[in-house]
Amino acid sequence: MQTSEAFRSFYEQELASLLTPLEEHRKKIKKGAVLGLVLLGISVLFFIIASSSKLSTPAIIAFILFLAAIITLVNYAMRLKKFTRTFKTEIVSRIMHFVDPSLRYSPEQYISETDYLKSGLFVEKPDRYKGDDYVEGLHGKTTFVFSELHTERRVSSGKNTHYQTIFKGLFFIADFNKHFSGRTYVWSERNPQINFLTKLFSSFAWNLEKVKLESKEFEDRFIVYSTDQVESRYILSPSFMERAVRLQRLMGDGVSLSFIDTNIYVAVPIREELFEPSVFSANDFSRLDDFRTTLVIVYDIMDELKLNDRLWTKE
Amino acid sequence: MYIAIGIVVVLILVVIGLYNSLIVKKNAVDNAFFSMDVMLKKRHDLIPMLVDTVKGYMQHEKELLSRLTALRQQFDAPRLPVNEQVKLENQFNTLLQQVRVQVEQYPDLKASENFLKLQGAINEAEEQLAASRRFYNAAVNDYHNGIMTFPSSVIASMAGMGRKDYFAAAAEDKAVPEITFK
Repeated sequence: MQTSEAFRSFYEQELASLLTPLEEHRKKIKKGAVLGLVLLGISVLFFIIASSSKLSTPAIIAFILFLAAIITLVNYAMRLKKFTRTFKTEIVSRIMHFVDPSLRYSPEQYISETDYLKSGLFVEKPDRYKGDDYVEGLHGKTTFVFSELHTERRVSSGKNTHYQTIFKGLFFIADFNKHFSGRTYVWSERNPQINFLTKLFSSFAWNLEKVKLESKEFEDRFIVYSTDQVESRYILSPSFMERAVRLQRLMGDGVSLSFIDTNIYVAVPIREELFEPSVFSANDFSRLDDFRTTLVIVYDIMDELKLNDRLWTKE
Repeated sequence: MYIAIGIVVVLILVVIGLYNSLIVKKNAVDNAFFSMDVMLKKRHDLIPMLVDTVKGYMQHEKELLSRLTALRQQFDAPRLPVNEQVKLENQFNTLLQQVRVQVEQYPDLKASENFLKLQGAINEAEEQLAASRRFYNAAVNDYHNGIMTFPSSVIASMAGMGRKDYFAAAAEDKAVPEITFK
């Protein structure tokens, strides 16, 4: 795996020159956003004046300023979208290629809802499903895909409707190194979705049984359900359990895994946006190095779970 | 009067419930034992093939191989009690381990495709066996919790439900080092 030092020289040789025009572009967009917000602020001020004044002039000014603010902000949003697209094709795709030339990157695609639901990691069907930064690759003998996903549920209270996040982060699917035919779910113990009702539902509707495992540390962190008691233990060997615990320590408490159709699904909750350029601060070396680190995390997952360890099992 | 009848009915239902849950646990142990038995057999069935493959190469280990074959045949006897089986399994593992060590002396054998395939199959069978053994032990543990905790322990002793043996892994089995191939 490429180190941070190697990345610095790559940054200086290749990325820096590409970033200069993009940074100019970014500053202009930032100005547009600031202008839009200032106009919006002044228009609010005039609305307040208009409400306590008998003259109609402040109201007209407030309205014109408000319109101008909206136009500026819409323009900002459109330019931001274009900027993000250019940034991803020019910069992020190069970083991907630097980390692993075999990676195929599609900035606007994402893992399908069918795959997301099939993983069984999140039981409820989301009302809003978004994502981007789809990546496909081959690491040793392991084929894998991942993307950023953001899934939400609609919550209505009275007349108000808002969206609540179900999952936001990195969603990863890879070919597992052992053959199996059943389904095994390793949910994070801290996943609030896995409440009593879900467990009951899973047991009946999905024909699952709770799997009690020997490792106390693993049992404290994960809750395992499977269609096959023996097969789940075949997948979750003692060494694999240790690795899953290490993975959770590395990536946070919310990490969940599932094993279906010879694939492994991993959901890593991450609050920050992945591979998104910043508008209000410079996209400098440290920011781009964060992108590289995110990619390295994916390789860490595969190495940590030893998905390439296929000496005697699946080729 | 009605209260007394009510209490008796509830007590009877509780006893039936506890008894049934013990039976479920006992059956789970039997099921787990059955699935482990299948895995054991699967591994034993690979042994004659292993002996056939290696005997041509390993001229100096004839005695070791014949001991392995003889031990393998003991498993064909009708179902043995668990502790007997554990003892046999452990001897069997020790012999298999010795064969593996001896194989190191025969580079031609180590490189032969047949042997590699067979070694792969045995390894796979052992991983599956380890999984089913862990399931069996988990089922026994669950059953023991049932027969030893109050109030189900009372019903268990009345029904004559005793302890079951765990299937302990052989020492060298536990100490298998993890090998990384990149």
